[in-house]
Amino acid sequence: MPVSSFFGLQTTLRGLIAQQRMLDTTGHNIANAATVGYSRQEATLAATRALQITVSGSINQVGAHLGAGVDVTGFRRIRDQFLDAQYRAQNTSLNDWKARAEALDSAELSLAEPGENGISAQLTKFWQAWSDLSNAPNDEAAKQAVVQQAQGLMDSIHSVRAQMVMAQEGAMGQYDQIAQPGGEVSQIATELAELNKVISQHLVHGDAPNDLMDRRDVLLDKLSGYGQISVEQLAGGSLNVAFVDATTGTAYPIVSDQTAEWAGPPAGGWSPGGQMGGLLAVAKPGGMIDGYLDSIDSLADNLATAVNGAYGGTFFTTGAPAGATIAVAAPIQANPASITSGTGGPGSNDLALAIAQLQGNAGIDGAYKAFVAKVGGDLNETTRMQTNAQILTDSVENRRQSVAGVSMDEEMSNLVRFQRAYQASARAMSTMDEMLDVLINRTGRVGL
Amino acid sequence: MRITTSMVQRNVLADLNMLSNKLAKTQSKAASQKEITRPSDDPFKASQAVGLRASLGANEQYIRNIEDATGWMDSTESALDSISGFLNRARDLLLQGSTDTADVTSRLALAGELDQIIDGIKQSANASYGGRYIMGGTEIDNPPYEVGPNDAYQGDEGGLDPAIPGIVREVGPGVTMTINTVARELLGDGQAAGDDKLLHVLRDIADHLRANDGAALRGGDLTRLDAQVDKLLSIRARNGAQTNRLEAATTRLDQISLALTTQLSKTEDADIAKVMIDFNSQAAAYQAALRAGANIVQSSLMDFLR
Repeated sequence: MPVSSFFGLQTTLRGLIAQQRMLDTTGHNIANAATVGYSRQEATLAATRALQITVSGSINQVGAHLGAGVDVTGFRRIRDQFLDAQYRAQNTSLNDWKARAEALDSAELSLAEPGENGISAQLTKFWQAWSDLSNAPNDEAAKQAVVQQAQGLMDSIHSVRAQMVMAQEGAMGQYDQIAQPGGEVSQIATELAELNKVISQHLVHGDAPNDLMDRRDVLLDKLSGYGQISVEQLAGGSLNVAFVDATTGTAYPIVSDQTAEWAGPPAGGWSPGGQMGGLLAVAKPGGMIDGYLDSIDSLADNLATAVNGAYGGTFFTTGAPAGATIAVAAPIQANPASITSGTGGPGSNDLALAIAQLQGNAGIDGAYKAFVAKVGGDLNETTRMQTNAQILTDSVENRRQSVAGVSMDEEMSNLVRFQRAYQASARAMSTMDEMLDVLINRTGRVGL
Repeated sequence: MRITTSMVQRNVLADLNMLSNKLAKTQSKAASQKEITRPSDDPFKASQAVGLRASLGANEQYIRNIEDATGWMDSTESALDSISGFLNRARDLLLQGSTDTADVTSRLALAGELDQIIDGIKQSANASYGGRYIMGGTEIDNPPYEVGPNDAYQGDEGGLDPAIPGIVREVGPGVTMTINTVARELLGDGQAAGDDKLLHVLRDIADHLRANDGAALRGGDLTRLDAQVDKLLSIRARNGAQTNRLEAATTRLDQISLALTTQLSKTEDADIAKVMIDFNSQAAAYQAALRAGANIVQSSLMDFLR
């Protein structure tokens, strides 16, 4: 089979086109070097189907394959799905600890310990006021001071409790913003369903919508921060995505193929992990902050019971919850002089003394000390876990970036490579051109 | 491993972040001079510090209580001292009156002086400290004795009768001390009660002087008066012992306060030298990281390709 004279031109043209596509891809990579979730792309090249020719000089006279240049067969994004899965698992745990640490941080701040305004300092002053009263049992100024200090202590207890409740409500509000219908998960679900649809349409036609797939992966990364997710690949390139309960393993669908399924968190309790799990662990009824509130309430209760018991009357009144309602009894507030310091004459101080001796009581000072250690310990552990999770997430993210990220040096050297290849192809084409010039313009002109 | 541009940026940023976090922490240590500013910095030490602060506060209060108690005891002691002076004078008068050379007139004069002494003793027993009568039990608002013929004790039994709490001060954790001396213990309720206490004895002596009863004066009266002197001495000895106990307690509490303060400082105070060295080395590391980061992030192959 004869080979066309113009065959070489076609071959070099294919080369030119391919190098141009490579340059385009490089440009795309450079342009997206800083795009979140972008995975670098590469034009996949393959030698064009060779031209089979018969060669007279060949040994068996069968023929030979004449290379016909290069074709761009597609553009692929370079990404490792195994690393994606690893990253998402780490991201779930990181966001879990992060959410806990943030909520507990504000709970701890409200304690104002160690310092002059914490409950501990106020308790000490309260006991001191009673001790001073026992030194001057019928001194009105001392009685006034007892009431003042008692109210200062009440203020501290109330404000610590109120701020903890605020931290709890803040965390619950954040959780609702993420999980409730119309929240962030719902929005992501809608977008994912849409992306699933578009991506499958493209894949049916055989072209890979790399940038849409990148976008979908970014959304999955985001979801993995909210909770533990499972991602199921469907045949058409679509995805089923669901939250998975960290303890029971129950799946709660977010997106099934092209339908957004998310309609808010399940009615009963669940432990989704991630930011939602962290927020729930801290703020749900019976969660960590509820435990702190119980401690404050039982401290207030113990304080009221012990002081009233020693006083032999009502000095503190409490309601429910004790920590928010404990107060100096109204008659005493109205008339501090009505405090009785002792059961005997005006100089007797047995009652004041009995109350002053409550200092260091295991149910009050001791319980508070243990409470401070508990709150501090919880946050300390959470922060440590967060740091660990951060390091692990960073290292997986580094590995992911190592595969999928854009390296400027690499792109620059590619740029040079493809440019040179383009130039060389162009040179080959001009060589062909010169050859044809000889053939067309100078051949067969004998005698002209 | 393939190193990409975004990795380099992320790493540089993460390192800078970590270093500036450390710097901020060290800076806050330097500014607050405290190793622990929040419980989560070191939960164990933080709760220890809370406990130490409470103990320190209690200790200060004990010291304050003891100061008050010492003032009270000192006032009691000076009252007892003046009673003791009166008692010695009364004994002198008794000795003068009991001699055979003393006649009716001189004995009458002595009896007159003795009446004054009785009033003086009562006034001494009415001593007060900070506006509070100190020898009337827990009845601190009213004087325990009326000056004049009525010798009845006006206060209560607080501190004298073990069943009735008197003036009590807390001088240590769980340690209390009754600091009041009840005047009735020494002075009694006078002749009407017939309790053979100081006022009763002195009134009897005055009566004997007026009645010119030399035999009684020489006989029982001197013995009875000496018994009162002994009684006073024993009360003063008890008072003195209590004062000593208070002093010892103060010394001990001062030492405990010092120990607690030292321990608190060790628990929560920052070692300034260490903090400053940390700060300097971290600042140096931060600057080095900034410089290195600036060089790494800026340069690429582009700088070298034509």
